[in-house]
Amino acid sequence: MVLRFFYLFRHSYDRIGDAFYWPTIDLMIWGLTSTFFKTFAPNAPQIILIVLSGHMFWLIVWRAQYEITVNLLEELWNRNMINIFVSPIKFSEWIISFIIVGLTKAAMSFPFAMLVVYLAYKINIIFFSWYFIPIILLMFMTGWWVGFFVSGLILRFGTKVQTLAWTFAWLIGPFAAIYYPVSTLPVWAQKIALFIPASYVFEGAREIIYKGYTDPTKFYLSFIINLVYLILSIAFLHLSFKKVLEKGLVKVY
Amino acid sequence: MDILTVKNLTKRFGKFTAVNNISFSLKEGEILGLLGPNGAGKTTTIQMLLGVLTPTQGEVKYFGKNLIDNKEEILEKVNFSSTYTQLPWLLTVEENLKFVSYLYEIKNRGQRIKKIIEAFRLKGLFKEQMKDLSSGEVTRINLAKAFINYPKILLLDEPTASLDPETADYIRKFLIKERNKFNISIIWTSHNMAEVEDVCDRVVFINHGRIIADNTPENLAKTIEICHVELNVPDGLKRTIEICQNKEVVYKLEGRNIVVDLKEKEIPGFLRELMDRGVSYDQISIDKPTLEDYFLQVAPKKSKNED
Repeated sequence: MVLRFFYLFRHSYDRIGDAFYWPTIDLMIWGLTSTFFKTFAPNAPQIILIVLSGHMFWLIVWRAQYEITVNLLEELWNRNMINIFVSPIKFSEWIISFIIVGLTKAAMSFPFAMLVVYLAYKINIIFFSWYFIPIILLMFMTGWWVGFFVSGLILRFGTKVQTLAWTFAWLIGPFAAIYYPVSTLPVWAQKIALFIPASYVFEGAREIIYKGYTDPTKFYLSFIINLVYLILSIAFLHLSFKKVLEKGLVKVY
Repeated sequence: MDILTVKNLTKRFGKFTAVNNISFSLKEGEILGLLGPNGAGKTTTIQMLLGVLTPTQGEVKYFGKNLIDNKEEILEKVNFSSTYTQLPWLLTVEENLKFVSYLYEIKNRGQRIKKIIEAFRLKGLFKEQMKDLSSGEVTRINLAKAFINYPKILLLDEPTASLDPETADYIRKFLIKERNKFNISIIWTSHNMAEVEDVCDRVVFINHGRIIADNTPENLAKTIEICHVELNVPDGLKRTIEICQNKEVVYKLEGRNIVVDLKEKEIPGFLRELMDRGVSYDQISIDKPTLEDYFLQVAPKKSKNED
């Protein structure tokens, strides 16, 4: 399955663009915007680092969920689901293949984004030191559960809800407090943010930027919520798959 | 020995019953035709046999093992080809076959792909992307894909549709040769009755989700008694028509040609009567009933549901 997606990557300019072109454009726009804002807020010297690191970490969520949802859509567009599931592949292997593809693509596009940020703004994300590892892991976990949940919806409702593959992650974006503290949100939204595991990570990342350290409890909490959501999303996807088998895999489109 | 047994298989979609309590078996090395008009339930049955559609009721067993409980083990030895499914269209033929060979964990995949490529005459298309191929070429690649895992059972949904007659004939002969060589069992759906008669050892005829016949193509054709007797009558066409009208048999006129529908045992008497009335004919052909005649008799002329 992994090989199939890499063959596709080789032939599809869309997918190459998704991996390199859009991250570069996003980082340039956000970087320039925050540079401009910095001129109004000279007392906030870390603004560029906060915005760009937030964006780069969100890029991992985006990449991880995108590789799951769009690769599923790719099978539906190609009417290839039946070829896969008449073979002896297990459901778990299918899921793992999405995770591996997401990890590998992120391993390609994230260092590329790091390089762009370093060359354009002299910002080194390695600044986060060992915190870098849990942040990346937690971002991946968020991307995976979002991806599996959206995939479950796509399997149930077909390509008529395919836009969720591009939009759903952004629905939780405001509550994840990517670029601003959770306290900036209205009170009702702050309550929602409590249930968004990425919000703890971004809060922690900002604390590291300001103080050089953060309370690891934030990361533990994020991990637990992420894990619960991940288990639930895989169960939902599995249930959706079973539902699809009731009406026939050929009819999912 | 039965290699596949289907017992009381039923599939309901809401109130509509697509497949209604069907049971049949497939022997080792047997080619079984699954026939029926559009909407009869053939494709639904095949999907259930492949495990990509959950039956409402009933059981599918391969090699004596239940499909649901032993899916991965069974599907290693089964494969499928249909004109209605596609392989990823941006990938090349080579990439698609490699990807599928990994799904089935084929050893010596390079050699296997090479052999299959040659067998299905795909050498020139190896580096082509699927999107650039004709429908006939795609059909051949789907068939090649179905052979990649040395299948013991093949489910072929209209395997020769969209192939030109020469390639279709080649593919039929190839499939029969492979069956003879490796004792492969095949379930074959087709709307080409001559092909089914030629290839299949046995036919299961489905209509409205039920099996209405399970027999050899020859025996099914024999259940139709009417033969078509075609005569070219240069002299005595009016008298011939009179005889037909007196006997109350169905006839059709095409210029000096007349086609008369008669039971096989009535033919000698009819020809004798023509002779007695001084009718001379210079050409005669007698078409015995075929599987197509059987199909036309038992299948409804119009089907509400597409299969």
